[in-house]
Amino acid sequence: MSPAEIKFYFDDQEVIGLTGQSVGAALLANGDRILRKTRFNEKARGVFCGIGVCFDCLVVIDGLANQRACITEIKAGMKVQTQAGADA
Amino acid sequence: MHNVVIVGGGPAGLSAALSAAAAGAPVLLLDSNPRLGGQYWRQPDESFGDQGSQHFDLETGLLLINAVKARKEIEVWSGAQIWSATHKDGVNTLRVLVNGKEKIINTGNLILCTGAYDRTLPFPGWDIPGVMTPGGVQSLIKGHGVLAGKKVVVAGSGPFLLPVAAGVVKAGGSVVELLEANKSRRWITSLFVVLENLSKIKEGFYYIKTISEAKVRARFGYAVVAAHAGVNGELDSVDVAKINRNFKIKKVRNVKCDVAAIGWGFTPDTTLAGTLGCKQIVAKDGAVVVSADSNQQSSVAGVFVAGEITGIGGSELSMAEGVIAGLSAAKFVGCKVEVLKAHRARRAKKQRFATALINSYPIKDGWKSWVHQETIICRCEEVKLKDLHYAIDELGATDSRTAKLLTRCGMGMCQGRICGRSVVDLVADQLNVSPTDTDRISAVNRPIITPISLGQLAAGE
Ligand SMILES: Cc1cc2nc3c(=O)[nH]c(=O)nc-3n(C[C@H](O)[C@H](O)[C@H](O)COP(=O)(O)OP(=O)(O)OC[C@H]3O[C@@H](n4cnc5c(N)ncnc54)[C@H](O)[C@@H]3O)c2cc1C
Ligand code: FES
Repeated sequence: MSPAEIKFYFDDQEVIGLTGQSVGAALLANGDRILRKTRFNEKARGVFCGIGVCFDCLVVIDGLANQRACITEIKAGMKVQTQAGADA
Repeated sequence: MHNVVIVGGGPAGLSAALSAAAAGAPVLLLDSNPRLGGQYWRQPDESFGDQGSQHFDLETGLLLINAVKARKEIEVWSGAQIWSATHKDGVNTLRVLVNGKEKIINTGNLILCTGAYDRTLPFPGWDIPGVMTPGGVQSLIKGHGVLAGKKVVVAGSGPFLLPVAAGVVKAGGSVVELLEANKSRRWITSLFVVLENLSKIKEGFYYIKTISEAKVRARFGYAVVAAHAGVNGELDSVDVAKINRNFKIKKVRNVKCDVAAIGWGFTPDTTLAGTLGCKQIVAKDGAVVVSADSNQQSSVAGVFVAGEITGIGGSELSMAEGVIAGLSAAKFVGCKVEVLKAHRARRAKKQRFATALINSYPIKDGWKSWVHQETIICRCEEVKLKDLHYAIDELGATDSRTAKLLTRCGMGMCQGRICGRSVVDLVADQLNVSPTDTDRISAVNRPIITPISLGQLAAGE
């Protein structure tokens, strides 16, 4: 048995992840490390704690902002976007 | 009707569920992860196949997880995030988000096993993508089969750096540096403690063997004191410093890497217990923990606590405490059962080992000298050290709570989970005083357990 491939989108680009992976994990596997830009200094941020504690991996998922990439499981057709500031 | 509600499906929560159920109490076990196991026994989707090679002892975990699943007295809700909680007249009300739907639980009999997360310290560049916690790097490997980057620096302090470095090697990455800030072999101070905890020693040797086979050599008395981004804004290199016994920098060199996994032990997540009114105290290492009596009962009758939230001690101590908490909670709801001497003896033995370890990996004050005026302290609200100093020197803040209110330091979405502990130290340092227990406990006082968006709630209602 091996995990099934799941197709989703990051900033309109197609990304392939595996069953049960989080958005953050699938994006890291794809080489995408920058998930958002901060509100004040527009600094790049990505996965930091990896377990849902730090809120640094925030992305917009299917239009809903402030979702933690590291603990949100990927779903087929999901549209993930880089988050700019507090919202998008 | 459930007699006992347990929050947390790690070593403590699983053990508590089994002992409470065996004593005859129906159990509801809630955990926010998609799969049981907590941090120690984190696994990917079962389609990934055998994960044994990424764990020292997954067998024990699988044994507990399967036993929990097999018991009809135990109902499991995975993917269940408690986001808010209150306590009134002996009733604890938990608001739980389960797959986008909100459910409300009222119970008088709770066991809290919410665990811990990596302790981090601020330093210049620690917000650059690629700088991570060791737990984060490990959870990506264990839970998702993903290596965060090829060339990895593992640094900080504590025995947890070993399994993380070993995990990176096993996942096909290269550990370019393995740096322990404290001096080597300090911890073999008590031969007795070592002898009575041979399983843990075996585990240590297993990691060391894996690491040495990959020709990785640990260095002692070194730390990562700055990180630098490349043109793409991602991590490019770190400054590795030789440090003295008090963590003051002696000599620095630059090391190229993709990922820097840096951690300083763990911080208990006592938020839920605190919200329900359980008394919190400050442990010797400065961590805020939930106070528990010899039956693992907190200061709130009927609320029991076990695992890392009562003090950092590793999976075996968590299990020993979980068993006692499960028995005590079952007794509390009327089951005929007693905590045995043997249970307490096992806990005491694991506690001695935990204490020996914590004493061996102190985090010394010198780390504050790595932080510059322009260094981000609060990652969420982008508050810099100079902002904290301004609040103290110019606005007259005389404690960390006021400095926090004036700067929003620690008031972002993580509610100070990441910076709170360091802010207390940095503010006290600037004021030239020692942090008080009140400072430390007020830093973990959070109005809600986990911020969720209105959209998430609306979807469920
Ligand atoms: C990322 C990470 C990796 C670790 N890896 C190791 C390791 O390899 N070896 C080792 O010896 N130790 C490791 N540790 C230390 C570890 O904490 C302990 O060894 C052990 O897992 C503690 O057991 P526990 O039952 O107290 O808590 P945990 O295992 O942390 O379990 C707590 C559980 O409670 C859940 N939870 C917390 N809050 C809520 C809430 N509000 N709502 C719903 N559920 C909630 C969490 O999702 C989690 O599943 C790790 C710690 C971390 C943070
Ligand atoms: S990386 Fe910390 S919450 Fe996702």
